[in-house]
Amino acid sequence: MNLPGTATKAAKIDRLAELSVSSSDVRGRSLWLEAFSRLRRSPMAIVGAVIVSAFVIVAVAAPLLAPHDPTAQLWRGDVFPNRSIFVGPRAENPLGLDHAGRDLLSRMLVGARQSLMVGVVATLIGLSVGALIGGVSGAAAGMGRRLGRAVDSVLMRFVDMLLSIPALLIAISVAALLGPSLTTLMIAVGAAQVPIFARLLRGSMLAQSRSDFVTASIALGVRRPKVVVSHVLPNSLGPVLVQGTLTLATAIIEAAALSYLGLGSPDISRPEWGGMLADAQRFLGSAPHMALFPAVAIIITALGFTLLGEAMREALDPKLKK
Amino acid sequence: MVRYVVTRLLQLIPTLFGLSVLLFIWVRALPGGPDTALLPENATAADRERLRQDLGLNDPIWVQYAAFLARLAQLDFGHTLRGRAVSTELAERFPATIELAFVAMLIAVVVGIPLGYLAARNRGRFLDVSAVGGSLIGICTPVFFLAFILKEIFAVRLGWLPSSSRLTPGTSYTDITGLRVVDGIITGEFHVAWDAVVHLILPALALASIPLAVVTRMTRASVMETLGEDFVRTAESKGLTARVIQFRHVLRNAMLPVVTAIGLLTGALLAGAVLTESVFAFGGIGSFLFQATQSRDYAAIMGTVLLIATVFVVVNLVVDLLYTVLDPRVTVDR
Repeated sequence: MNLPGTATKAAKIDRLAELSVSSSDVRGRSLWLEAFSRLRRSPMAIVGAVIVSAFVIVAVAAPLLAPHDPTAQLWRGDVFPNRSIFVGPRAENPLGLDHAGRDLLSRMLVGARQSLMVGVVATLIGLSVGALIGGVSGAAAGMGRRLGRAVDSVLMRFVDMLLSIPALLIAISVAALLGPSLTTLMIAVGAAQVPIFARLLRGSMLAQSRSDFVTASIALGVRRPKVVVSHVLPNSLGPVLVQGTLTLATAIIEAAALSYLGLGSPDISRPEWGGMLADAQRFLGSAPHMALFPAVAIIITALGFTLLGEAMREALDPKLKK
Repeated sequence: MVRYVVTRLLQLIPTLFGLSVLLFIWVRALPGGPDTALLPENATAADRERLRQDLGLNDPIWVQYAAFLARLAQLDFGHTLRGRAVSTELAERFPATIELAFVAMLIAVVVGIPLGYLAARNRGRFLDVSAVGGSLIGICTPVFFLAFILKEIFAVRLGWLPSSSRLTPGTSYTDITGLRVVDGIITGEFHVAWDAVVHLILPALALASIPLAVVTRMTRASVMETLGEDFVRTAESKGLTARVIQFRHVLRNAMLPVVTAIGLLTGALLAGAVLTESVFAFGGIGSFLFQATQSRDYAAIMGTVLLIATVFVVVNLVVDLLYTVLDPRVTVDR
């Protein structure tokens, strides 16, 4: 049984979950090798991987790459703070200065680090809490017996209910409770992803538990908890990994939305792309470059993660196997 | 069929019950406790005591929950920090959001379905590649940024379209349904209806970006899958005309997953409305929620989130029911 209004969203997640079983290769080549060799041939995956690696390298090396201190005010003499004149791109500041006279390129580079951190931590929060709920639920269902099914049922009704609230609204509610900060941003965005990961891991564990090798292990007398931990769980991770990659894209976009809503980090020494974009809206008329660079960076990064995630999904999908 | 509808409606109860428990916990968790968080800063001790009485903060927890449920059932979400009832505010503003979301969805469907269909028929060609690429970029673009760009270009720079609100300030109109376009048509005030349409274009375009991208991709994938089905080959070998095959066999079958996607997109639309409405000062529940988050108006946040979640659940219920009409193979008694 599915709750109304959640049936369809849940079905979409379940379909991804099913892939965990169907993609295991009969010829004995390992699932990961098979998927990886298909990934290498996919142009989508290559473009995605290039964008993602560039982003990660920039984020990690940001302090070395940044030509200026991201908090230093660089307008000396040529601009007066009270006469709203904006410095566009020029030789010493390739992306121009922002409204407070700070070097935009340096802030973009340091911002990459914050955005990556928000994305990764938020995804990890969503994944670990979601996987915990989904894992317990899936394991309980897999163990069978009345208690197991009851635990599974209660947990999944809760997850389905969370799925009925748009993710951004969950994030807003959580962020409103915690008050604006970088930590809030991570927790709020991550919390919104919890139900998706929970449903996904449970779905793929259930799909696994119906597969032949699980039946075989049980027939051989392996105890159920051992089957769950050493067979079902490791084989269920493929779809979770796909969803995790896609979530990184969502997390970066949603963090930007929360920043725009005033729930992001108020700390100017640690710029974050979403916050920079939100700041820039006031100066769109006189300094479009301030909005353009963070926006393009967000779009390209999100695109990179989306391409990589979609390519991974295709690599796991047996329907597309040649 | 009736039985199915009733079952589905009954299944709403646990969802709404769970939501109410979550909201109850949320109110408990407010910084400074609910009596501090839900009152304006200049509230007097008497106000505070009255709120404590109203919320029953001195009662046992289950009595408090029962009272909370009773208030929700009466659509009493408390008062905004400015002292107006949240339910009144929502009732006034909801039609604006309905109008906006409807137009955005209309754009997504009218453009997205033909585009996705054509992309599928021209797989791998320029049209297909640009439709897929465009929709990927659409999904990755922050909605509020797109809204800014549209506003800056078409309203501020070119001055073709208005930049904010639902009608030109000072326009007099007769309010019947709260939907300005509909009201204008009903009362014969066509200039009002036209003015409302003009004000809708930019926010609706911004809001439509994500649904349009999703509908296009869904239609494309679904049409491609249907084109490979046996019944399409059968229809071709029977000598049916291309038109009949494409419309009656391919498109109709391909529409099933798209309808589902449209239901799910209601959530994206309502969440996106928070961002677009605030950029265009549109005056719906989206900009209401935006202002509420800015001023930490918790009662308003709670009321709006509950309203949006309920709408989302109900719309998807309708989609589930619609499904049985579109596809007779889907049995209603499961």
